[in-house]
Amino acid sequence: MSEHHEQTFCSKYIFSTDHKVIAKQFLWLGLFFLAFGGFQALLIRWQLAYPEQPLPWYLLGNLFYEGGLMTPDHYNVLFTMHGTIMIFWAITPMLIGAFGNFIIPLQIGAPDMAFPRLNMISFWTMFLASIVLLASYLLPEGAAAGGWTSYPPLSTPVGGIAGEGQTLWTLALTLAGTSTLMGAINYIITVVRMRAPGMTYFKMPLSVWGLWLTSIMNAIFVPIIAAGLILLLLDRTIGTQFFIAGGLATVEGGDPLLYQHVFWIFGHPEVYILILPVWGIVSELLSVFSRKPAFGAKVTAICMCTIVVLSSIVWGHHMYTTGMSPLLGKAFMFLTLLISIPSSIFFLNWLGTLWRGNLHFDPPMLFAMGVIWVFGLGGLTGLYNATVTSDIYLHDTMFVVGHFHYTMAASVLFGGLAAIYFWFPKMFNKKMNPLLGKIHFWVSFIPLNYVFFNMMVTGYAGQHRRLYNPSEYEFLVPISDLNISITTFAIILGFSQLIFAYNFINSIINGEKAEANPWKANTLEWTLEGPIPHGNFATTPTVYNGPHEYSNPAVKDRDWIAQSEPMPT
Amino acid sequence: MVKNTMQLWLKKIKSKAQWTAWGIWYIDPPKDVSLDGYRIDNVIQYTDTVITIYFSLVILALIFFIFKYRARSGHTAVYDKGDSKKHVMATIAMGLLVFFSIDVVIETMSFRDLKEAFWNFPKGENVLKVEVMPQQFAWNFRYAGPDGAFNTDDDVVPALNQMHIPVNTPVLIQIAPFDVIHSFFIPNFRVKQDATPGMVNTMWFQAVETGNFEIACAELCGNGHYRMKGYLTVESQEAFEQWLADNAPQEDEEDEWDDWDAEVDEGNREIPEEWGWTWKEIQ
Repeated sequence: MSEHHEQTFCSKYIFSTDHKVIAKQFLWLGLFFLAFGGFQALLIRWQLAYPEQPLPWYLLGNLFYEGGLMTPDHYNVLFTMHGTIMIFWAITPMLIGAFGNFIIPLQIGAPDMAFPRLNMISFWTMFLASIVLLASYLLPEGAAAGGWTSYPPLSTPVGGIAGEGQTLWTLALTLAGTSTLMGAINYIITVVRMRAPGMTYFKMPLSVWGLWLTSIMNAIFVPIIAAGLILLLLDRTIGTQFFIAGGLATVEGGDPLLYQHVFWIFGHPEVYILILPVWGIVSELLSVFSRKPAFGAKVTAICMCTIVVLSSIVWGHHMYTTGMSPLLGKAFMFLTLLISIPSSIFFLNWLGTLWRGNLHFDPPMLFAMGVIWVFGLGGLTGLYNATVTSDIYLHDTMFVVGHFHYTMAASVLFGGLAAIYFWFPKMFNKKMNPLLGKIHFWVSFIPLNYVFFNMMVTGYAGQHRRLYNPSEYEFLVPISDLNISITTFAIILGFSQLIFAYNFINSIINGEKAEANPWKANTLEWTLEGPIPHGNFATTPTVYNGPHEYSNPAVKDRDWIAQSEPMPT
Repeated sequence: MVKNTMQLWLKKIKSKAQWTAWGIWYIDPPKDVSLDGYRIDNVIQYTDTVITIYFSLVILALIFFIFKYRARSGHTAVYDKGDSKKHVMATIAMGLLVFFSIDVVIETMSFRDLKEAFWNFPKGENVLKVEVMPQQFAWNFRYAGPDGAFNTDDDVVPALNQMHIPVNTPVLIQIAPFDVIHSFFIPNFRVKQDATPGMVNTMWFQAVETGNFEIACAELCGNGHYRMKGYLTVESQEAFEQWLADNAPQEDEEDEWDDWDAEVDEGNREIPEEWGWTWKEIQ
C-alpha cells in the first residue's frame, strides 16, 4: 500500500478510506453525542429533584422550554433520547467505531481494514442516521417518547404518542444498525485475515480480543433487532399490526410480547457488545501500567468467549414480570447466574495483574482502575436483577437504572476515557496534560459513584422508572431529599467534564509533540513514528512476542520489548 | 442544592436509629404489609451482605496493591504471567467460591420462594378473585359479585382507581390491559406484574395489615404514566363486604357510567363498558 495517489482535502479528511481518519471521525461524532446525551441527563435529573420547577439558567431551560418548564411529553422525549443516544450514538461510535478502527489494524500489524471503502460507508451511514435522529427534534410534536426500548403498542401509531418522532427514531436506529453491521464484518475479517506474520490469536492484545468478540456479537445480533425495527416501522407506516393486540387491535394475531423477545435477544448481548471492548482495553492497560504481564491473559480471553456464548441465552431476565412460564423463568435465572463464574475469574485476573506489579498512576491507569471499582459494583448488583424474586420488586425501578448505569455508563465511560488518554498521543501526536487528566478522574469518580449508587437506593425505596414527577406518590416523599442530592452531584459530574473537553481540545491545538512510545508499551502501534502515513507500516512487521512481555528478565536495561522485536537470548 | 445535600447528611448523622438500619442501603423500602414480601426482602438482604463482603475485599486488595506496589525507585515488577496451573486453578476456585456462596444460595432461596409463594397460586373458596384492567392512565377493577362469576350483570365495578381487599385473605388477580403495556406495582406488597395486551396474566398476594396503600404503574405507558396511580384499601372482612354491597350495580346504570367516564382524564380513550372476561382457570 505504498503507492498512494495525490489526496485532495476531501479524500484525506472527509471521504477518507484511511482507518485512522475514520476512527477520528467516529470519535468526534461519539464525543458530540456524549455531550448531548449527558446534558439531557442533567435535565432529567433536574426534573426528578425539582419536579415542575423552572430549569435554572445554567441548564439553558428557557432555550428549550417555554418559561423553562418541561411538560410530561418533553420529559418522555428526554429519557427516550438520552438512552438511545448514549447507547447507539455515543458509546458505540466511541468505543467500537473510533477505537475499533484505530487500534485493530495497528495492533495486528495490518496496513488498513480489510474493506476500506466499506469502512468509509459505515461512518457515513452513521452520519446519515445521526441527521435523521436529530431531525426528529424539529418535528412539531418532537422526537420519540416511547422509552429507549420503545415497547409496542405504545410505540405504534395507536399507542397514544402524537407525531412521527418514533418513526424517525426507528428509521435512524435501523440505519445505525446497518452502519454497525458494516463495521462488524470489516473488523471480523480484518482480524481473521490480516494479522501480521507471527501474530497468533493468543499473541493478539486483549484489546483486539474484546473488539473482535464485540464485532462477532454485533454481526449476529444486530440483524435480529433490525428485523424487529423493520416490523415496527411497517406497523408505524403502512398499517400492519405485528405488535398490536388487545383493545387497540383491529385484526387478530399481533403480539407485543414478540417485540420484547426480539428486542432483548439483541438487547442483552448489546450490554456485552458495549462492555467487551472495555474489558479488553482495561486488561491491556492494567498490564502496561503495572509493568507486568496481564495475569492469566489466555484465561481472560477464554472467559470473554464464554461470556459471549452465555450472553446470547439469558435475555429472558429482562422479562421476568411479563408473565413468563415458571420453567423459563427458572432456566433464565440459572443461565444468567452462570455468567458470574467467567466474570469473577477475569475480574480476579485484573487484580492478579496489579499484584506484585510496579504501578504507575498515569491518567489511563486511574481510569482503568476506576473500571475495576465501578464494574465490580455494577456486576455484583446485577445479581439482584438476575434473581426472579428480588427482580419482582426491583424490576422497572431506579435500582435497575443505577445498576445499568454502573455497568454501561460508568464502566464504559471510564473505559472509553482510559482509551482516549492512552491512545491520544498516537491519534493526534500530541500530549495531553496529565495533571488535568488526574483532576478529571477524581472529579468524575466521586460524583459518579454518588449518583449511580444512590439511584439504586431510590429504586430500593420503590421509586419506579420514567417518572415525570415522583412527588405524585406518597411513598416517594421520604426520598425527595435524596433525589435532590443526587441531582446536585449529577450536575457536578456533568460540568466537571468541561475539564476534559478543555484538555482534549487544547492538547490537540497547543499540546506538546508526543514521542513515539510515551507509555513504553509493547504493542505494534507504538513502534510507529507519528504521524502514521496512510498504509501504516513501511514494511510488514514480524511478531515474535506476546503483547505483555513487561519486566521480562531476559530483556536488559528496560522493562518492555516491542512485539516485533526478537527476544534477546 | 448544596445546602439541601448538607441537610440530608446532617439528618442522617443525627438520626442514630437510622444508623442501625444502614446496610449498604441506608434507606428502608416501603413497609412490607404482605404475607410473602419478607421473602423478597430476605433475598435482597442476603445479597446485600455477601456482595458487601466481596466488594470490600476487592477494595481492600486494591488499596493494599496501590500502596505496596506503587512505582518508586528500586521497586520492580515480578515477571509473572499468571498462567501456571496453580494460578489458573486458584482463580477458577475463587470464581466458583463466589458462584456457590452467592449465586447458588440466592437461586435456591428464589426457587423455594417461587414454588412456595409467588408462583403457587392459591385455590379454594377463601380466595378473593379480582380482574384488573389498566388503561391509559387509570386502573379498572372488577369483582365477581354475588354469583361468583365474572363478566355477568352483577359484577361489582367500583370507581376508577379504587381497589379494596380484606385483610388476611389471599387475593388472586387476573390482569389484562386495554391499550398498551402497563405494570401493576404495589411497593408495600413487593409485587409487580406486567399487563400486556392480548394476554391475561395472573398474580396473587395477601395483606396482613389494614391500611391505605398506593398502586403504581411501573411500565412506561405514555405521557400520563407518572400519574397512573391507584389506591388500595386493606380493611376487615366486614368492611370489605359492606363496600362491595355499596358498589353493587344500580338499576340506573347509565348515569354511573357517565360519571365514571368524566373521571378519566382528558386525552384518555373511551373504553367499552363491558370490559370483563370470563375467569381463566389455571391448569
